[in-house]
Amino acid sequence: MVKAIKVENFSYKYPDGTIALNGVTLDVEYGECLALIGPNGAGKSTLLLAITGFVRGTGRVVIDGLEITNGNLKQVRSRIGCCLENPEDQLFMPTLFDDVAFGPLNMGLDSQQVKERVNLALAEVGLAGMAERAPHHLSAGQKRAAAIATVLSMSPKIITLDEPDGSLDPRNRNNLVKLLAGLSQTLVIATCNMDFAAAVADEAAVIDGGRVIAAGPAKKIMSDSKLMTSHGLEVPR
Amino acid sequence: MHHAYIDKFAYQDSSIHRLDARVKFIITVVFTAVVISLPRTSVSILFCYAVGPFVVLVMGGIPLRFVLKHILYVSPFVLVLAFTGPWYDRTAAAVAFGPWIWHTTVGWLRCWSILGKFVVTMLALIALISTTRFANLLAGLQRLGMPRLLVIQMGFLYRYIFLLIDSAHHILRARAARSAGGVAFGRGVKFAAAMVGSLFVRSIDTAEHINAAMQARGFDGNWRTINRLEVRVADYVFIVIAACFIVGLYFFVKPVLG
Repeated sequence: MVKAIKVENFSYKYPDGTIALNGVTLDVEYGECLALIGPNGAGKSTLLLAITGFVRGTGRVVIDGLEITNGNLKQVRSRIGCCLENPEDQLFMPTLFDDVAFGPLNMGLDSQQVKERVNLALAEVGLAGMAERAPHHLSAGQKRAAAIATVLSMSPKIITLDEPDGSLDPRNRNNLVKLLAGLSQTLVIATCNMDFAAAVADEAAVIDGGRVIAAGPAKKIMSDSKLMTSHGLEVPR
Repeated sequence: MHHAYIDKFAYQDSSIHRLDARVKFIITVVFTAVVISLPRTSVSILFCYAVGPFVVLVMGGIPLRFVLKHILYVSPFVLVLAFTGPWYDRTAAAVAFGPWIWHTTVGWLRCWSILGKFVVTMLALIALISTTRFANLLAGLQRLGMPRLLVIQMGFLYRYIFLLIDSAHHILRARAARSAGGVAFGRGVKFAAAMVGSLFVRSIDTAEHINAAMQARGFDGNWRTINRLEVRVADYVFIVIAACFIVGLYFFVKPVLG
């Protein structure tokens, strides 16, 4: 049966020879929210880059039944959207409208369809009516939501988010949890914040030293204090 | 971090703000060209020309203090240029203004002309920037035929220059926090070089991330945008009023004032 994401024995070394991912194998079902948890430098962000085709190593990465190759990156990226760690990198256009419209325009949609998608995506993340705002006039929470809108407007089946809760205050973090809980897409979220991971994820995978140490239901994985503490993590409150 | 954004007031709403960016840009360019082309002896007409951008600024609700502050920011360069005139051109000249006659030199006339033209054109430029969102201005420039690559560069520059300034502020603050008692000149120079290097590396990092974000959203090298600019009746009315003002002053008032 086709999985949303299938990673098979994937390994990757940085140009300086450091092993970033070492024989990673991971399956993600459709509609699932998977939290990639692990200490800093564990390889979570690199795994997200591998899933979105930005990092090419040995092994297989299959997205929605399509194995990533050099020739099909555009097709792959129409199925999987990625939110980078820093929303400033994601919001590069002069206005929110232009940023959210960037993906749909590259998909070849006409102006009317693009406008509809932009309005829908902004409404979904709670930024309706702010299309003409410049990214530098948004708060940290709004920037995070806007970054998600830039991906939602492309209607991908899968979305990856790298440390989406970073630098958010509790109120904005709660808003983000609600926003992510309301999405129907398959989500893969890399985070170091166990409370956040526990609040959003159905499944969890512990990553350390470039390997998947354990994977399974989030509650089960994250309540195993021995597993968590031995990899520099903590049991959520 | 709060920055003095040049389009700080561009997000207000007024009849001037709602005008099409292309219309405002073209009128500003024509206005500036006409003011610059005035003879250097036509100083008094500059007061009349200043009325145009002044009215636009008032209608747009732009605080005059903000306008004057920005004129002062860039004035040193022009002041140096203007005040060299009286030094090298001391030919006697007389200026008549109605019944009054003022005896001066051509150098001083040149000086006041440069200063007057500078202030009037700056008023027009600030009126344009303060009543037009930068994004609309860029879109307008693109529709007017400015090379797309240049427009994209300007958009990126405007989007990321403030982040770069933020990074520099953070580095300077970190240095200040660890430099009780001051820093020797030699170490200061070394620090400045290290800071520039660090900012350069950060810029490359940011550029790589932006590139990844663009590729993730299907960017294939072709920059696609939607034209959301529209010339309405108000724009035509503004064009007519501006044209009458610029041409009227040039052909009917200038000959009277000299």
